[in-house]
Amino acid sequence: MKNKTLRFIFLTPVIIYTFCLIVLPLLYILTISFFKSDFYGGMIYDFTLENYKELFNFVYLRIFVNSILIALVTTLICILISYPFVLAISHKSKKIQQIIMTLVMVPFLTNSLIRMYGWIVLLRKSGAINELLLNFNIIDNPLSLMYNNIGIIIGMVYTFIPFMILPLYNSVSNIDKYTLEAASDLGASKIKRFLNIILPQTLSGLFNGAIMVFTPALGCFFIIDILGGGKVMILGNLIKNQFLTARNWPFGAAISVFLILLTTILILIYKKIGGKMDDLGGI
Amino acid sequence: MKKFLIILFVILCTGCNNNQEQLNILNWSSYIPDSVIRNFEKETGIKVNYSTYSSNEELLAKVSNAKEGTYDLIFPSDYMIEIMKNRGLLEKLDKSKLTNINNLNSNYLNLDYDLNNEYSLPFIAASTVISVNKEKIKDEIVSYNDLLNSDYKDEIVLIDDQRIIIGMALLANGFDMNSTNKDELEIAEDWLLKLKPNLKAYDSDSPKNFLIFEEASIAVLWNAEGAIAKEENDNIENIFPKEGFALSIDNFAILKNSNNQDEAYKFIDYILRPEIMKEIINSYPYKNVNKETDKMLDDNYLNNDAANISDETLKNGIFVKNIGENIKLYDRIWANIK
Repeated sequence: MKNKTLRFIFLTPVIIYTFCLIVLPLLYILTISFFKSDFYGGMIYDFTLENYKELFNFVYLRIFVNSILIALVTTLICILISYPFVLAISHKSKKIQQIIMTLVMVPFLTNSLIRMYGWIVLLRKSGAINELLLNFNIIDNPLSLMYNNIGIIIGMVYTFIPFMILPLYNSVSNIDKYTLEAASDLGASKIKRFLNIILPQTLSGLFNGAIMVFTPALGCFFIIDILGGGKVMILGNLIKNQFLTARNWPFGAAISVFLILLTTILILIYKKIGGKMDDLGGI
Repeated sequence: MKKFLIILFVILCTGCNNNQEQLNILNWSSYIPDSVIRNFEKETGIKVNYSTYSSNEELLAKVSNAKEGTYDLIFPSDYMIEIMKNRGLLEKLDKSKLTNINNLNSNYLNLDYDLNNEYSLPFIAASTVISVNKEKIKDEIVSYNDLLNSDYKDEIVLIDDQRIIIGMALLANGFDMNSTNKDELEIAEDWLLKLKPNLKAYDSDSPKNFLIFEEASIAVLWNAEGAIAKEENDNIENIFPKEGFALSIDNFAILKNSNNQDEAYKFIDYILRPEIMKEIINSYPYKNVNKETDKMLDDNYLNNDAANISDETLKNGIFVKNIGENIKLYDRIWANIK
């Protein structure tokens, strides 16, 4: 009995917090997505499905496809870089592993917007990378490394790669070393060991990382604005534009609801494949 | 003794909170130098809480979602004055409280968006301009259509503003900058798609940097940015295209039910002083609207044609107008050309 009361007391702040700052705003977004806009930032309180119909306008569908493509490429490159990286450091001593993982986390100490401006100094025509390559006569003309898709992908991968490395590292370090040793004693090749032991055991971490990278990449408009030169529009910009420039809050809300649905579907797929919900929140 | 100290402490605290006069200003970013604000605080003892916004729409969103009295003094542009006035967000101005009001250039008073200046007074005028690096671009540029030249691949920077850029495309094709005619907008959309391969970036924060660092050779930007780019790089020339260009007047306005109206009037009056306006113009070379300041400006400003836009040129400026629900058409075009 006493235990229950105590639990209730400890849980109440969390429940109030979640209700006021997550549930209520989401309900508000859902509600206004069915209203009409007065195009001055206000709303006319008439029920309409117009905003959801507008989502299927070809112009906006193209933006969804663009966003998904960019997020998908980002996720794939993150996997391609993180997997070998994590496998390589898993052979190192505990101490070195700790140091490397701390280094992965260090960039989080700086605001991501400032880090993006740092990339400008590196990537622009007269930037450090081009100057270096030009001075060593490796290239004759400066490379276009930003204000195009290359810049976008560099920024995205750079920002989100820790979200891929952390869950992968977690699942790789949980692999039982003795199973691997037994496999090689019994003559299993490197590829076989990877496919039959490592991959199945890290699949959950892989999906976990993929969701952690893919979902925020769908809406991360400032990277696209800064390193892509604002030439591409993704869901994030589109939503921002509805709330500011177009003053069409209900449509902005409808896109947000759509984005939430998309993410929910992804998580359901993750769960269906056998991913644990705990893993998503508990790195 | 302890009790006494606590009481004394409480008195001191309430004292410093209540007695100091305050003023909550919401202004464009990069518009008034910090020294001007600090000087006002020193002179009057009024504490200024200064926040910024980067578009009229952001201003509207901030003002209409904040509790009344959060902000006192704002700086909306022409069409936004009209919108805010119609929504009852602005306080009627009592001009008798302003001793320096006669310093204002009458060309910028009594305009369509606020006849008789009941709710607003002009602060500064800004126009768009094409800045070109003459060292890189040898052809003469006189019209927006010159930007379509296929030699300029990846060379053009535009401000990230849908009304201005779609407006530019409309002007290039000989239409009204504020057109809501679907056929005309479709032609403008095609024009922008044709321009797309030439674009380096859209940037509203600091498009001048693209020119200064020679990352791009042509930019459509606000005149003060063009003026600064010219100061930094001699090869840059500023061109007012023959089809016309966007003109915008930013204004002082006091929000309805502001708690610090006297302080707001004091601040407006302070800014209207010729020497203060000169300090602002020197830092951010927009078009000055204070005729007393005009008499004391430096050659540096006067000879910079993007900063000190001639009255003759200004006649070609066009105001962005509020188009209400038709903004939806612009939004679709914007989503399509990006």
